[in-house]
Amino acid sequence: MRRPLVALTLAAALLVTAACGSDSSTDEAGGTDDVTDVTVGIIPIVDVAPIYLGEEKGFFAKRGINLTMESGQGGAAIVPGVVSEQFQFGFSNVTSLLTAQTRDVPVQIVANGVASTGNPDADFGGVVVREDSPIQTAADLAGKKVAVNTLKNIGDTSVRESVRKAGGNPDDIEFVEMAFPQMPAAVENGDVDAAWMVEPSLAIAKDAGGRVVAWNFVDTAPNLTVAVYFTSTKLAQENPELVERFQEAMAESLSYANAHPDEVRTVLRSYTDIDQAILDAMTLPLWPAEINRASIERVAELGLADGVFESEPDLDALLP
Amino acid sequence: MTAVDNTPVGAGSAGPDRGTSAPSHRAAPTRRRRPPTALLGVAGLVGLLVLVQILPSTPLVSSRYLPPATEILAALVELLGDGAFWSALGDTLTGWAIGLAVAVTAGIVLGVLIGSVPALRAVTASTIEFLRPIPSVALIPLAVLLYGTGLESTLLLVVYAAFWQVLVQVLYGVQDVDPVADETARSYGLGRWARIRHVIWPTSLPYVMTGVRLAAAVALVLAITAELVIGAPGLGNRIAVAQTSGAVDLMYALVVVTGLLGVGINLIARAVERRALSWHQSMRGEVIV
Amino acid sequence: MRAAGVLKRAGLVVALPAVLLVVWWFSSAGSTSFYAPPLSKILGTFAETWTVERLRADVLPSLLRLAAGYAVAVLVGVALGVLVGSIRTVRATLEPVLEFFRAIPPPVLVPIIMLFAGIENTMKIVVIAAGCVWPILLNTVEGVRATDEVLSDTARSYGLTGPARLRHLVLPAASPQIAAGMRQALSIGIILMVISEMFAASNGLGFTIVQFQRTFAIPQMWTGILLLGLLGFALSVLFRFVEMRALAWYHGLRQAQRSS
Repeated sequence: MRRPLVALTLAAALLVTAACGSDSSTDEAGGTDDVTDVTVGIIPIVDVAPIYLGEEKGFFAKRGINLTMESGQGGAAIVPGVVSEQFQFGFSNVTSLLTAQTRDVPVQIVANGVASTGNPDADFGGVVVREDSPIQTAADLAGKKVAVNTLKNIGDTSVRESVRKAGGNPDDIEFVEMAFPQMPAAVENGDVDAAWMVEPSLAIAKDAGGRVVAWNFVDTAPNLTVAVYFTSTKLAQENPELVERFQEAMAESLSYANAHPDEVRTVLRSYTDIDQAILDAMTLPLWPAEINRASIERVAELGLADGVFESEPDLDALLP
Repeated sequence: MTAVDNTPVGAGSAGPDRGTSAPSHRAAPTRRRRPPTALLGVAGLVGLLVLVQILPSTPLVSSRYLPPATEILAALVELLGDGAFWSALGDTLTGWAIGLAVAVTAGIVLGVLIGSVPALRAVTASTIEFLRPIPSVALIPLAVLLYGTGLESTLLLVVYAAFWQVLVQVLYGVQDVDPVADETARSYGLGRWARIRHVIWPTSLPYVMTGVRLAAAVALVLAITAELVIGAPGLGNRIAVAQTSGAVDLMYALVVVTGLLGVGINLIARAVERRALSWHQSMRGEVIV
Repeated sequence: MRAAGVLKRAGLVVALPAVLLVVWWFSSAGSTSFYAPPLSKILGTFAETWTVERLRADVLPSLLRLAAGYAVAVLVGVALGVLVGSIRTVRATLEPVLEFFRAIPPPVLVPIIMLFAGIENTMKIVVIAAGCVWPILLNTVEGVRATDEVLSDTARSYGLTGPARLRHLVLPAASPQIAAGMRQALSIGIILMVISEMFAASNGLGFTIVQFQRTFAIPQMWTGILLLGLLGFALSVLFRFVEMRALAWYHGLRQAQRSS
């Protein structure tokens, strides 16, 4: 009776030593000669297709960057990783980074990530209602329950702007926080009156009969920059040359993705499980090589007015 | 849904119930043929399958969000042929195993130590009560800060959660030691270490085994949760990707795998428990008249 | 003399936490890490973060939901436990199914529960109850199964059957075990209270902590975590107090057994 347990304890001790022995491989931007190992923290969604495509096409390798993508499920996982230099770069939406800046989180934006199509008939994000909903325009959203994926973020800010532009009163909209994948069901079950969704949830909801009543990205600012790639201020100061190489590679990847939507849909299959039918149906976002600073200023303005930020974000410190 | 405590506080007379699946001492004589336990268990699972098959056709829930069992099983079969799935399964099990081993070792060592020294127990009681209810998920930024999104982050969360299961059980076990036996051992000149080996350890072993069984279940849940939220490699990560991609069939297939893992781990844990306590089972059924 | 005793007990409760706090204070004093701020900063924001207003608006609803979920779990757990514990067939059939659901992590299960229970308070109470019910259920089962045979036969020979048997034999005999299960369920309940508020919530302690995390209000997030720990501690003390009273007969019996 006693021997199996002694064996178990010994085995445990061995396993622990083995685990502690193996060192974490992605500690810093190490590498040999001209090749730098770079880890980027991303969320495995449609928005990051260009970086996967660029890596595949060798845009990073030819600039001496050995790229690895680490997938997190949100800012809570990615920002600490960048700040502690587990990742050299990370992907995040603009509002989160603006908030971070007001709290003195040492981050800096380096490259554009994804932007709205700017097309008032088809964007990659919009507010959806059920087929039989009495809501017809954004103005009708006043006083209703609207789901967004994160409170005090780009979702509620942009939805309020849509309502304002349509002539409605945004002040008593009840925003509920919910992850995108749960939104189609919530809308259909009537748990919420409307939901702001992005692809592929948008395509899934439309497939179930949902109707888009507002294109909130388009209403917020022309050619809205939605999300970006960022790094820690420490890395930006210590290794500006690496940042520059990353920026060039990203710019090339973004332009390529913009010009080759079919290849984007193909690369999406490699890191997501999106169904082919949905892939064909969904609206792809735009991937401009440059950040649209004016749109970010607008988001900062709106956010400050809505009380998303407690103080005004310093864009000069944040933007490249 | 994270832990169960079969704390064998005992029902007063027939010796403390250790919460094992030993035959009840009210075992009925075999007057009629009873279906074997395993068969009944399978019947239960089949019943669940039938329920999942029927539910999507009712107005309760749409098949778009809860596909019927046949579709889920089809996705499961497809999954089994995918090499990446097996690698993810391996990652999850590695995180689970290492985390469990560390938690159990630390729990036993600290539990015996704290439990055998009354002063230590009194002093640490409030701290244990304070730390126990803090969810592992609250530690996620800390984990990522320290270890990024690799295996170590998963281990931090798994060990933190599973450790308490073992510790609390061991403390109960050490506390339940018969003071007469302990005194007798001391009067025979057995030092502290010898007493721990021959008196305290055997008495608390049933509690420890329960703790290990509970910790095993918790470790699995936390391993998958860590992978889900942080993005460490493993089943949880695949579930998250399936979720964000809207691949509902695949997600439920992965959930089925998770559930079956849990059932399997529980079976193994119970088997280990039975083996380790085989000497103890015979002591059950003793009645104090 | 009494005062000295109370003082000693209070001292034991506070001693280790005080030491740990001091160690934390000094080791984090010069910290520049964003996610691990100095303890002085954390404690400094505690009072202004958890005002009476916020306590009422967030902590109270969380506690009410916890209480409701816990109550449901106790009722369902004991009722089902008595049933399952008494009938072997039911137990054998249900155990794998129960183990199956127990292994599914809450972040995965909650969206599934959302499909059926909506997104309001009902969903959160269901999530808390679904997690709390396990320890209570399984401990009730074990407690019922371990009812002393001699007592059981004696009761039967006195013609004690049905509800009376339940009230006077089965439940009291199983109550120490059930109490142990309820104890464990309390810790689980607090954890699930936090997790349930990560999905479609608009108020609550867990919700507030997560919002702090998302908006990078890190010292405030830590104060929330500290508050969670304090809450868990307070509830466990309360539980022990109630348990001592309700199970005084059992603790006395064990004491007598041990010293005989």
